[in-house]
Amino acid sequence: MSSSLSHPPAHLPPSVALQLSQQAPVTLRNTPSVISSYSLSTLWSAAETPELWTEYENLMLSCLRTGDEQSAGQCLERLTERFGAENERLMALRGLFQEAIAKDDAALKQVLGEYENILAKDPSNMPVSKRRIALLKTLGKTTEAITALNEFVDSSPTDAEAWAELADLYVTQGMYPQAIFALEEVLLITPYAWNIHARLGEILFMAGSTGDSSGDKYLAESLRRFCRSIELCDDYLRGYYGLKLATNKLLTSLPQASRQSKSDSTLPLPDLKTVERLNETATAKLSEIVRRSVSGECEGYDKGEVIAAKALLDSGATKTIR
Amino acid sequence: MAQIPVQTIHRDPQLFYWILIPITVVMILTGVLRHYATVLMATTPKKQELPAIREQRSLLRGINLRTNANAISPASFQARKDYLVNAYEKGDFLKEPDKKGQAAPNPMTDPAAMEGMMGMMKGNMAMMIPQTLIMGWINAFFSGFVMIKLPFPLTIKFKSMLQAGVATRDMDPQWMSSISWYVLCIFGLQSVFNYLLGSDNAASQMAQQMGQMGPGAGAQMFGPGVDPDKQFKAEAENLAVLAHEYTLAGVEQRLLETVKV
Repeated sequence: MSSSLSHPPAHLPPSVALQLSQQAPVTLRNTPSVISSYSLSTLWSAAETPELWTEYENLMLSCLRTGDEQSAGQCLERLTERFGAENERLMALRGLFQEAIAKDDAALKQVLGEYENILAKDPSNMPVSKRRIALLKTLGKTTEAITALNEFVDSSPTDAEAWAELADLYVTQGMYPQAIFALEEVLLITPYAWNIHARLGEILFMAGSTGDSSGDKYLAESLRRFCRSIELCDDYLRGYYGLKLATNKLLTSLPQASRQSKSDSTLPLPDLKTVERLNETATAKLSEIVRRSVSGECEGYDKGEVIAAKALLDSGATKTIR
Repeated sequence: MAQIPVQTIHRDPQLFYWILIPITVVMILTGVLRHYATVLMATTPKKQELPAIREQRSLLRGINLRTNANAISPASFQARKDYLVNAYEKGDFLKEPDKKGQAAPNPMTDPAAMEGMMGMMKGNMAMMIPQTLIMGWINAFFSGFVMIKLPFPLTIKFKSMLQAGVATRDMDPQWMSSISWYVLCIFGLQSVFNYLLGSDNAASQMAQQMGQMGPGAGAQMFGPGVDPDKQFKAEAENLAVLAHEYTLAGVEQRLLETVKV
């Protein structure tokens, strides 16, 4: 099997996922369908590897993404044969498969009912409770999903994935302080994740843009988060993009801000000169990144992000001309 | 100095076919069998109940907060610290809140701990029983045979090791008895098992010995006989005295100094 199958498929570009799934029937034919760990034949045939089963799982997810339900079903069958239907991870995978083939909301609700049955029997089944939350989100029951997630993180507070999901759900509800709290929990688990720093900066920026009295505090914090994310990862496009947005906003609001009362718990607002210099740096760096990625000099930037950065730069340029 | 005459012992070539090869083959086959027996006997690790998971992960959360506190703002840290220290001291995260303050249960009577010990017993038994049987079999049938001559000279100290079961004082230590061959097989078939069964097989003894020597740090932390309440109290104390230093303080200056456009 190809190497891209050994990574989780969530971040594969659609073209690669499609290619994988188109090759799925061939791949499935080429790998032995039954591998028993107890047969004598393991003495002379190649031993099964953990990678094989990861590949099956990823192949199944890719197939579901592209709508090849037959191959996905075959993967699931082989996994079930090997690990048994009672395996927690397989229960979640089977649920995922059923969600994918469900025709309407009624069928989805039925899957939800199954999840709840499983969880009633065994509340410590983490994969299935995560699926249940994801399904609640799919069904549009955001508040219920938030409640369920809160219970989940109460019993498993070291799960970064769950905290990040909770933060996203809170953002959709406009509950920024809660979202910030959840993302800070993620940072406590992975303190050097620059994408999380940038994401937290984005949420702080959103919270600062709502226009209440503490807006500038949020904006300053957001600016510093973006700075930190760039510090952790040079040339991080999202970080510079956010830095430019935050400094733009601060440059308009800082001059008329009253000199804030100095309290011990929060950092003081950055002075105007620093913000200006940061804005210049961000602009220069962004234009450099855009130029280099448009000319094809450096790969690896997301196309949409580069286009957005270009749009931001252009809007800033017209403003200064005016 | 007179040259010591080379000892020659005329051995029946049949010894080679009927002792050396059988012992080797039997050793390999028992190794393979033991591998499959261990795999079959292995119990899946008992699933933890939700309260137990919560207890462990809540403690880990405190540890995470302590190590990575600098990533969040002082206000956020203060709020979390107050909450966790309070909850730890009240024992909110304990799996059995009503048992707070009692001594840790004796690991011998704790059924969960017994499970792990049974697993270890099974592993040891799977090692010991076949070895005892084969040792007895070799002792009964093949004791006292001199089997091969090693192609290199050895000092006298090796005599007791290589000539077990042959009580001849003057024999050169190069000669090897059948029991010694068996002992050599026990330790020397490692790579054969690796080749046959894969590198993480249950027949290889090294893994077992390693397992007995040092159980992982994770097992130590939440193992039987550790009082979770005490752990929580200790963690609360650690958190309470922690000095917080915000990473984001002055980050914009740091950035401006390092970034070259």
